[in-house]
Amino acid sequence: MIQEGFASPEDLRWKCRRCRVHLELAPVTVTYLDQEFSADLPRCPVCGLVLISEDLALGKMAEVEQILEDK
Amino acid sequence: MNAQISNPQTESLCPDCLQRIPAGYLRRDQDVYLAKTCPVHGTFETVIWRGPPDFDAWVRPKTPGAPVFAGQPMDHGCPFDCGLCPEHRQRTCTTVVEITTRCNLDCAFCYADSSGAGSDATVPEVDRLLAAVGRGAGQCNIQLSGGEPSLHPDLAAIVERVRRHGFTFVQLNTNGLLLGRQPDLARTLKDAGLDSVFLQFDGTDDAAYRRLRGRPLLAVKLAAVNACAAAGIGVVLVPTLVPGVNTHQVGAILDLAVDLAPAVRGVHFQPVSYFGRWTRPPADGDRLTLPELMRAIEAQTGGRFCATAFHPPGCEHARCSFSGQFLVLAPGRIIALSRRTTSSCCPPASAEAGARQAIAYTARQWAPAPQGQEAEPFAPAGGPICLETFCHRARTHTLSVSAMAFQDAWTLDLERLRGCCIHVAHPDGRLIPFCAYNLTGRDGRRLYRP
Repeated sequence: MIQEGFASPEDLRWKCRRCRVHLELAPVTVTYLDQEFSADLPRCPVCGLVLISEDLALGKMAEVEQILEDK
Repeated sequence: MNAQISNPQTESLCPDCLQRIPAGYLRRDQDVYLAKTCPVHGTFETVIWRGPPDFDAWVRPKTPGAPVFAGQPMDHGCPFDCGLCPEHRQRTCTTVVEITTRCNLDCAFCYADSSGAGSDATVPEVDRLLAAVGRGAGQCNIQLSGGEPSLHPDLAAIVERVRRHGFTFVQLNTNGLLLGRQPDLARTLKDAGLDSVFLQFDGTDDAAYRRLRGRPLLAVKLAAVNACAAAGIGVVLVPTLVPGVNTHQVGAILDLAVDLAPAVRGVHFQPVSYFGRWTRPPADGDRLTLPELMRAIEAQTGGRFCATAFHPPGCEHARCSFSGQFLVLAPGRIIALSRRTTSSCCPPASAEAGARQAIAYTARQWAPAPQGQEAEPFAPAGGPICLETFCHRARTHTLSVSAMAFQDAWTLDLERLRGCCIHVAHPDGRLIPFCAYNLTGRDGRRLYRP
């Protein structure tokens, strides 16, 4: 299922340039400050390349950055 | 024992005559002392820093800022020209506005030296003071203080005036007795525009209150937290930490803060400083230094609040405070959202930008959590955290943990004072750095407080 803010149906129209296959939603682990976070993101099922869309970068990731912004 | 000056010389005051005298830092192994000699009253040496993180590494270089309005002429030199003067290196982040000298407690430690008797500022007087603050400090956070400000009969009207002057964050510095006893007060203050309560909170049992405040107060403090939670006012617990009294309660206070989140938005520790009249200088054993407190937090919470999350401030002088941000995922599952960075990786940052960031962060973090958005707690086990749930939880359950080391006549470093961003509005409208305003000589003589 597509999580709002993390991926869109349009993202899944992308193909991996190297592997020539459509991206699929898959659980991806990202690490920040020694903490592991999981999110379902568009990923190449062959090589594992992950798409970070502009919407994700300017949306949810910016939100996370704001949460982590300290004084 | 290796004794060596580890820092450039600075200046301080003689605790006896309050004359300006040279001072320097003296290192003995991992501990650092401020040493100074008055030609009349002799040598004074006071512990400033004990153990790791290392004193010399606890830096956050800043390009100096300036007050919004530095109208005080430099006639006598720091710290005798506060108002602020052009030598000051930071703008105002928070202005403390004292609205009464009356108090309903008679505490063993009180920088304001308040007790039962006193008087209230009138609303027009406060109005004029707020206008002066607006001219001198620009946009800053306002903390209403005293005395005990909740005793002021026109407190709600004053909160409204603060808002009307355009200040966007207003906090009440209170012992919480009236908030805990008068169920409607919190709602009235919320309706007037109050964002946050800075709640004197010295421990999780009554022993500390008996020693520091003269009577058991835990129940009324908890009632005050509940009243603020119901009204939608953010609460910051503010323990005064005194060696031999409540320094062993640091972990218990944080655990309670976790239980009380999201009503409690932060814990702000204040290691005791020595203002007022002292027949003998405070001994080094009477002091708790910032690195000791960071280590105590980690040790007393079993590592749930890790010391590596704490960093020096970007607003005030680095050696005045530390802060860290945590997220309460579930009771017992807390993650650090901040981390100490080493000084070598960061070029000097603008003090002005640091102040603006601190103003915004404080107003956001110490205000009430957004209502009606509370996410289910995470399972207490480890493993990756769902980013979506993390974002949702973080809207309500971030907890700031910070501490500020106020300077007294023995520990005063004028270099630190010039970087101060917390200013008290003198009744005549001048803005005075907090530690200068409250500083007293050994005989109780004051520099600025009327």
